[in-house]
Amino acid sequence: MSGRLHPFTLLAVAAALPALAWILPAPIGPAATLAVALGLTLTPGASPGSTGIRSSPGSTGIGSSPGWRPGSVVFRAALLTAAPFWLFLLLLHDVPTTIATGLRITTMVASIGWVVAALPPARLVEAMVAAGWSATAAYLFAATLSAVPVLKSRAQRIVEAQRCRGLSPRGGVVNRLRALGAVALPLILSALHEVDERALALETRGLVPGVHRTPLEPPPDRVAERVARWGLAALCAAALVWRLA
Amino acid sequence: MALSPTLRLDRVSFAYGMVPALADVSFALGPGERTALLGRNGAGKSTVVKLVTGLLRPATGAVWVGDWDTRAHRPEGLARRVGSVFQHADQQLFARTLQDEVRFGPRALGLAPAEIDRRVARALAVLELESQAGEHPYDLPPAFRKLATLACALALEPTLLVLDEPTSGLDRALRARVARALLERAATGVALLVITHDLAFAAETLERGLVLDRGRLAQSGPLADLLASRERLEPLGLAPPPVAVLSAALDLPGRPVREADAVRALARAARVAGGGRSI
Amino acid sequence: MTRVALEHVSFWYPATSAPALEDVSLEVVGGELVALVGRVGAGASTLLLVAGDLAPRVVGGRLEGTVRFEGSDRAGKDGGRGIVLPSPWTQLSGMAFTVWDEVAFGPANLGWPRGEIARHVEHALALLEITGLNSRDPATLSGGELQRVILAGILAMNPAVLLCDEPTAELDPAGAQAVWRLLSALAREGKAVLVATSDLDALPDVADRVVWLERGRVAATGTAALLAGDAACAAGLGTTVAGVWRAAELAAPFPATVAAAVRRWR
Repeated sequence: MSGRLHPFTLLAVAAALPALAWILPAPIGPAATLAVALGLTLTPGASPGSTGIRSSPGSTGIGSSPGWRPGSVVFRAALLTAAPFWLFLLLLHDVPTTIATGLRITTMVASIGWVVAALPPARLVEAMVAAGWSATAAYLFAATLSAVPVLKSRAQRIVEAQRCRGLSPRGGVVNRLRALGAVALPLILSALHEVDERALALETRGLVPGVHRTPLEPPPDRVAERVARWGLAALCAAALVWRLA
Repeated sequence: MALSPTLRLDRVSFAYGMVPALADVSFALGPGERTALLGRNGAGKSTVVKLVTGLLRPATGAVWVGDWDTRAHRPEGLARRVGSVFQHADQQLFARTLQDEVRFGPRALGLAPAEIDRRVARALAVLELESQAGEHPYDLPPAFRKLATLACALALEPTLLVLDEPTSGLDRALRARVARALLERAATGVALLVITHDLAFAAETLERGLVLDRGRLAQSGPLADLLASRERLEPLGLAPPPVAVLSAALDLPGRPVREADAVRALARAARVAGGGRSI
Repeated sequence: MTRVALEHVSFWYPATSAPALEDVSLEVVGGELVALVGRVGAGASTLLLVAGDLAPRVVGGRLEGTVRFEGSDRAGKDGGRGIVLPSPWTQLSGMAFTVWDEVAFGPANLGWPRGEIARHVEHALALLEITGLNSRDPATLSGGELQRVILAGILAMNPAVLLCDEPTAELDPAGAQAVWRLLSALAREGKAVLVATSDLDALPDVADRVVWLERGRVAATGTAALLAGDAACAAGLGTTVAGVWRAAELAAPFPATVAAAVRRWR
């Protein structure tokens, strides 16, 4: 379903949900937005299909979004990621505040998780370029989105490598923290180290400011969707005004 | 009491979901045995490595590391006996110095400090990395980071080393360094299982060849025989290394595949052939 | 006439006092394949970055001397300089989920019309013999397949000068042979090809000239026979056959290839 929507629409929804979660009064408002966000994480995500000119029509890649996951993986990942925040909140605040803030944070996490899974960066770049953005700016934005699944698969490889060096993720708190460091640090270091190389590689592929990139297959932007996006923005603004009044 | 082999795969099968990866694979490695694991992409080599390190469990059959069944142990436990280096291993680096990085493995195993120091010193020495021990891993060129990951595996002082393309990205001098280090360890009884398409390196370092084809063990035998046979190597996308080709072309006795052996055979053949003839 | 030339070039990376390149003069013209050989850290990769106008423009640092480039350098890279860096994984655009899109990434960035993009992409895929991979996800490819995809991506931009840093590092022998044949064919077609490589045994058959770099300086230049010379063998930069011949203390000049050794033997 979300594969046929314009990337800007997906972004608008992913931005509107956390915005509304924070604007609307707790606990009903955030609970509602969380329900919607979690519902979205259960949708099939971007359909496998073409994001470019194809010489052999009908051939499909292995899912067109690197974050695409079958079934309830995104749903579960969102809940798991949000869980530590709830624990933290419970230690610091009373129950009503915990519930309100927890629901809001979980909405954010679920929203981001959904949009990363559902939006192939290539389609986003095509949409941004077609809308007049420079290719470099579009790429930077999209790269941030695609970073998550790339880092996830790299994290898995690092976990395997460290376990084969004797790292045990079990044991007491100190041990678990050390284990976390042995995965998080290499992940960050290797990613940072590669930034320079990747930037250089992009230069070699002609990604220079000033030249207008040819969109290979820009996603169609229907009037209905544009109206819906403006509608969402208006809804958020109205909610804010109502809340502040 | 019979010594159990260092590694034994006993009728092992594995599939990724519905996709079969290995079917009924059996082989064994004794102490100090140096084996090349060859095969095209998708033949199942990486799957074998993951089964041996305990990251995967066989669907049928068993993988034995010494007297340990991998199904009864986690990868971090098997690390006491199996030292492994995967591709992209340099992504695992995170310590402030090369020395600290190599210390990580022995420390994770919970060894005494004196023992850790000894193992680290030994690993750095055999790879001639002592002068770089104080450097930050990311300040080193990629080739040296690759050597660092090998040092990390050596520092575990395992009974079995499992390596995936240990020489890719290395120049000749560094490849020779890796060969020397592996031979030194094998001489102390460490078994080697090496995935490689660098047949010149394999010729220098390894003695036995296992060929996987679409998940099955297609060939198993002395590596020198395999390296001399263009017909057997071609379907694997491989070709005999230069020394083997030279030996065959000049018809050197014994058809040596290692450089040192070829040098001796060539010198001898030259003396025999010409006396003083300037060849 | 396509030509890239370095004249008395010295280069320092940012915040370093020792030069990575010192007084290097080198010229590559269309129609020839020149190989850069040397030990790790000798400066071959840096030289390619300088020749490809990535250093100091993108990388930073300081350059002395002149770098000249003549080619049909119209707007965009068409007919410009194409550079293939080592390590294919970091050269993926990260934005293409099929090999076809990955190869089309460069041409699309140049703003070419879609028909022209398609033509160039199909041609590049055919040259690298990877047309069968065109709907695969690049993230699932092996190192060897990926290296070929990256090379196709640069070739699709139709550069007049091709600079390659260890293009066969991840390839198995069959793949490496195919790439060398391709680079040789591209040179004969008129491109200027400069390759940094440690695959010395392949060079006698494909390299028109060899440049030996040592610690940022040009130690020697010549034909591939350089790799069968005593100095190169002593430095570990000779071909395997030459090295074995020399170690067996047979007479110079040492043969560079098996075929040459067979001729000497008879």
